[in-house]
Amino acid sequence: MASNIPSTIGEFSVLPVSIPPLPSFPKNVVHYLYVRRHAPKIPTPTDSRSLFVTNVPVDSTEAHLRALVTSLVGTGRFEKVTFEDESKQEHSLEGKSIIDAAQPVHAARLLQAHIKKRKRDDEEAQEEAAARLPSTWTRPLRRSGSTAVVLLADEKSVEQVLKAIAKVHKTKKYPVWGGDGLPDSKMPPLGPVWLKSHNRLSFPDPSMLQASVDAFSTLFARREQEAAEIAKRLRNEPDEDGFVTVTRGGRNAPASRTEAEEAKRRMLEKENKKKEELANFYRFQLRERKKAEAAELLKRFDEDRKKLEELRAKKGKFVPEA
Amino acid sequence: MDAAPAKRRKIAHPDGNASIALEAAQAAATGVSRARAFVLETEEMLDSVDLDYSEAFDGADALLHRLKGSIETIPAHDAQPLLDAAAKLEKKHKLKVPFPSPPPPQNSNYKVSFATPAQFNVVGSYVAKTMVRTQSAHGIDMIVVLPESILQEKDYLDLRYFYKRAYYLAVVAAHLQKDLKGEATLSYEYHNGNSLLPVLSVKPNGEKDEDEKKKKKGVLDYRIRIIPCAPESFFPRQKLHLGAGLVRKHKEGEQQANGQPATPATPFYNSTLVAESSYLQYLKLLRQTEKKCAAFRNACILGRIWLQQRGFGSDVSKGGFGYFEWAVLLALLLQGGPADTKGAAPLSPSLSSTQLFKALIQFLSVTNFAEKPCVLGQAKPDLAGFIENGPILWDSARQLNIAFKMGPWSADLLHQHARWTRKLLADGAVDQFQPTFILKADLPTHTYDLVARMDPEKVSEAAPDKVAHEARGRHWQVGHKVYRILRRALSDKNMEGGERARLIHLKVSPGFSSSSWSLNEKPQPQKAGTPIEIGVLFDPLNMARTVDRGPSAGPSAEEKETCEKFRRFWGEKSELRRFGGDTIRETLVWSAQTPFDLCEEIMRYILGLHLRVGQLQDDIVFYGRSLPALLSIKPSDTALFNVARKTFTSFERDLRDLEDLPLRIRHVNPICPELRHSSLKTPSFGPSKSGPRPMEVVISFEASGKWPESLIAIQRTKIAFLLMIGRLLERFKPGEIRTHVGLDDARYETENLAFLDVIYASGACFRVRIQADLEESLLERQTKDKTTEQYLRQRASTQLASFRRTFVHLPLHTQYITTATTRFPALSPTIRLVKHWFSVHKLSNHFPPELLELFVLHTFLAPYPWDVPSSPTTGFLRTLLFLARWDWRTDPLIIDTSLNGELPAQERQAIATRLDAWRKLDPGMQHTVLFVATAHEQSGTMWTSVDGHPRPSKVVAARMTALAKSAARVIREQGVDLDVRRLFVPSLKEYDVLLYLNTKVLKSALRTYITVDPATEMNGGKGQEIKFKNLAPETVEPPLPVAQHPVDVLLKQLSAVYDSAAGASGTGPLVFFRSDTTATEEGDKVIGAVWNPTLVKRKWRVNLPTSYKPVAGGKDESEDEDEDEDEDGSEREKEREGEGRVEVEVNREGILAEVARIAGEVVERIEVKGL
Repeated sequence: MASNIPSTIGEFSVLPVSIPPLPSFPKNVVHYLYVRRHAPKIPTPTDSRSLFVTNVPVDSTEAHLRALVTSLVGTGRFEKVTFEDESKQEHSLEGKSIIDAAQPVHAARLLQAHIKKRKRDDEEAQEEAAARLPSTWTRPLRRSGSTAVVLLADEKSVEQVLKAIAKVHKTKKYPVWGGDGLPDSKMPPLGPVWLKSHNRLSFPDPSMLQASVDAFSTLFARREQEAAEIAKRLRNEPDEDGFVTVTRGGRNAPASRTEAEEAKRRMLEKENKKKEELANFYRFQLRERKKAEAAELLKRFDEDRKKLEELRAKKGKFVPEA
Repeated sequence: MDAAPAKRRKIAHPDGNASIALEAAQAAATGVSRARAFVLETEEMLDSVDLDYSEAFDGADALLHRLKGSIETIPAHDAQPLLDAAAKLEKKHKLKVPFPSPPPPQNSNYKVSFATPAQFNVVGSYVAKTMVRTQSAHGIDMIVVLPESILQEKDYLDLRYFYKRAYYLAVVAAHLQKDLKGEATLSYEYHNGNSLLPVLSVKPNGEKDEDEKKKKKGVLDYRIRIIPCAPESFFPRQKLHLGAGLVRKHKEGEQQANGQPATPATPFYNSTLVAESSYLQYLKLLRQTEKKCAAFRNACILGRIWLQQRGFGSDVSKGGFGYFEWAVLLALLLQGGPADTKGAAPLSPSLSSTQLFKALIQFLSVTNFAEKPCVLGQAKPDLAGFIENGPILWDSARQLNIAFKMGPWSADLLHQHARWTRKLLADGAVDQFQPTFILKADLPTHTYDLVARMDPEKVSEAAPDKVAHEARGRHWQVGHKVYRILRRALSDKNMEGGERARLIHLKVSPGFSSSSWSLNEKPQPQKAGTPIEIGVLFDPLNMARTVDRGPSAGPSAEEKETCEKFRRFWGEKSELRRFGGDTIRETLVWSAQTPFDLCEEIMRYILGLHLRVGQLQDDIVFYGRSLPALLSIKPSDTALFNVARKTFTSFERDLRDLEDLPLRIRHVNPICPELRHSSLKTPSFGPSKSGPRPMEVVISFEASGKWPESLIAIQRTKIAFLLMIGRLLERFKPGEIRTHVGLDDARYETENLAFLDVIYASGACFRVRIQADLEESLLERQTKDKTTEQYLRQRASTQLASFRRTFVHLPLHTQYITTATTRFPALSPTIRLVKHWFSVHKLSNHFPPELLELFVLHTFLAPYPWDVPSSPTTGFLRTLLFLARWDWRTDPLIIDTSLNGELPAQERQAIATRLDAWRKLDPGMQHTVLFVATAHEQSGTMWTSVDGHPRPSKVVAARMTALAKSAARVIREQGVDLDVRRLFVPSLKEYDVLLYLNTKVLKSALRTYITVDPATEMNGGKGQEIKFKNLAPETVEPPLPVAQHPVDVLLKQLSAVYDSAAGASGTGPLVFFRSDTTATEEGDKVIGAVWNPTLVKRKWRVNLPTSYKPVAGGKDESEDEDEDEDEDGSEREKEREGEGRVEVEVNREGILAEVARIAGEVVERIEVKGL
């Protein structure tokens, strides 16, 4: 059966991986990965020594892929792997640190425009790391059918891996998933332990949690301060064209959102009341209203009729149940 | 209706057509949109049930003429002694004379003769053209009036008329049998199930020619009934009044035994006689009314359908109120009306058919013939004394009790049904048409809270009742007695607190088994042991009463007498007791607990006392109890829920007592089923092995401007708040309260990140989340921010929805359900039963509990065509019925949760329009499947989608409907005999894959401790346990509350892995089905899954939604291999082609292997049915 599997689909090489049987599902199964040279739309310096892999198994880890590459072309070729969801996660914060992402829009805009490529020093990076919440998982899963980019040692390795994949089809010796060369102890197990750990990790040590929250708020406050300072500076400094940028905050304390919304609501209410008072004031209004009502009645009658027509289309709707 | 027609002309559009249409619209509408729809729908129904008489009754007129001609040729003969003549006839023509029971005595010496009928006439619904397609049998009634010459005035006595009539019929039958040989089949049947009145049924034989038969497809399977009757006003009416006893002779034996010469009144016999001589009068009445009132015919058809859907018919066994009675009542109301209206007709002939229908329903809903005689016409006869014998609806012009065929119970039921329908017709908001005419409302399991069957043969005592039940058989007699006893026992209005039962209904089978029998046989007597069916409708509050307080035992003579009466009725059960306020009362104390058991206990006791029946379990069998027992729902459960509420209140107080909080607490709202009386399992507070089960609540603080204007920062601030609350609580009540802050499984930093578990030493546990108002407005702003990218706005809107669900709608929902459970006592157990049903069928993970609660709530708020369910059993069965009928593709479910139950019609319209819009936008139902709106929440998708994906998905919703349909079918087919456990047997056949869980592993996975690392515990756990056995119980602290049930976590992860790619949940390759994890201690052992049918073989591309494998042995195989041998770097174009051509299919085995790897030992075994 498996012998008829095409070895390439378009630019992709098909890499069959044999999955060892498990007690709950005692079957030899083959999983297929699809591999090609990495060629993203926006090139990066490491493209030439990267492989683009799709349909990675859901339980993939770096160790798994390292073992896979090792079994294909031997040790020392694998450098690292970036999974799709990891790169996405970075993307979701738009490459900013969590603290920057946390800033209100206006502050973020200011910070971005007026701090020239701030170099993050180690200290701040450390603080940011401390502000992150602990993960509740010992090991992440990958979305089914998702992709990864494998970075190899050099360009030659890429070539070799692809060749090795082609060879696999001839020899029918498929590499084994999670097989040899995968140090067991290194990888947190899945299954009950994984589930149980999740439940436990959901309750982190309160002091640690407190520290994390504290770190966050310190950083957040600092960044806020910076933004405020920039805003203040901008208020006083005309730019090169002689304009003064309008920024939030001024002489008066900024109105809070809730107050603003309350005021807006009150204004609307006032307007509505005014409108209501003037309704039915003139004779023509009355006439028009009645006209509108009559039209509405007609419209609804038509609607009902149309609806009935629809119901009639669904047979048996009007016959009493037997 | 319109006060100023002149004005209207002005308003109307100038061009004529529009104004005509407007008039039509206004004529059809009485203001509200619903009423107009009702009229339109009714007209539509009338069209579709209408018969084409010339086609449907093809050949009927010819046959009628033929019959008439044939009967006219029967030779007359002179008077002969009855028995001789009958014997001769029977011998000669080999048939039986259908004498009513008892047969004529041997010494009867009067004579019978035969003469040509005085008159022929076709009466009933054939001439009035009021038959409908859906009625069970179509008959044409032809009356044959006996000539006066062969009758005597005294024939009204002692069944003489009926014997003569039977002989006359037999002569006609004998002649027709010869004359119509081969053309038609003849048989006897009883007219309206009245055993005094056999009639001859003529069924034309089908066309011999097959082709011709095909051509005439519309021909109905009709029959012609030949009904002999007495000449008009032949018998003196004054002799036939309701109190007269006209049957004497044959009871001689009994009379001697009793030594009483007086004959009991025979109202049924008398009324039958009157009816016998009034056919033509009524025919005239109906024809006149038809001429006068154009809508009369349609109003009669509507009545026929309404009665038919409620199981009523003219037949004695069908309640004795059918089309004929309806038509006559309506005609009388159009003519004269009740005596107290001074002769003015209550109804105007210019009303439309729906208006007439509504008017009559209104009339029936305020008049109960069983309680007070209802007199129509000028005269004011005093009939109050005869009400004991049965319901009275007196037509004074013709001096007939129209309701003479009804039992008091059927009059009661009719009254109730009319009341319910009236309530429905007054409820402008709901669909009035379907429940009124379309839905079948005669299912005993759905109507009554308790159904019992009693074998009337077991009633040992057979002393004649005061009330005569002539000609209706012994069963009727027993039934009447049972009814009177039960009514006194269960619907005693004088009992303190009120009546226990709102309705008691009896189904008494007639004394004969089949409706028709052939000419040469006697009517088949009924099979022995045919039971009387008793249905009881509870008043849920009163039925739960365990102590009945009767009359107070005072010194006055009057009081003494009532007490004496009470004691005589209740026997030894009645005892004197002293109550608060120094009153001493006759009291009954019952031992049962549930309303059902109480009712059974009372029924068994009182029937045993008065009829000596029911002591043996088999004598009376009760149906309908097993359903709540299945879940072991007990009355004490309410107390447990109340305890949960109480612990919540004290928790709230503790929270509010905290002094050092920077913001004041505005609300603490519960949001979980345990705190709204609707969780499947009752809340438990004891120590349990698997950690406490937290009950979820939300806190909102007073408004403050200090929240940071950033979602991420708000979420962090909330964590700080939770930590602080936890610390403060622990300090506030040291030793009694433990707290843990837990992390939510959030995907984004902008979502709610954490919760606080507060555990009391008593075992109660709460999970607290904090609401920040600012969060909502920030999210709202994000969804509207056009400058951000689409996917961010999308995300913001799903987050906004989940925010609103948790913090706005769930508290409201919880509050509403809690109020509703006190308003409807049966609501809470019904919700739990329905949840159980969903859980057993492994649908729990697809239906949020709130949605199930709303389904049930709907059956309580819009219970039509019945009243609000008063027991969990009826509530449950009706909910299933609703789910089976609900066409969610086109119909939104609108639940009116507004306070006064008046959701404006416009809003309903808007909701329906929204659904239409969704369906147009998303015809494949990828995003919206079920559409459930309430008054508080009109978007319709709040409870049916989670994270922007529909829950349940289309596949699952279809499965729900299929399951409910098959359940409803079983319920209908089996009726009360149904073993309800059958509804709760899950079928594993339909699943493609079954995951068998390892309960042992799961149990241990439920227990987590803060100090023990799970990895080491699971790996080397065994060795360690032995090592420190002595330390184990003392040092190990209580387990942590479970953040989530492991199976929930597993399925959530699996769906995250497989579903999210395609978008909506349930669109991954596998759709999982699982029961509620809280249903049983260890939970369900099996998870079912089906392969998604929409994921089929497809062309390969880069972004496949899940794990695919190339199809082996495809067409391109050889080419591909060639290419391989060539070289890697072949031309690009060819490759492009290849990319498009190679087909791939879901790698099912690969996916299962992945599932097996993820689940590890949690899943013991994966069973695959088909790959």
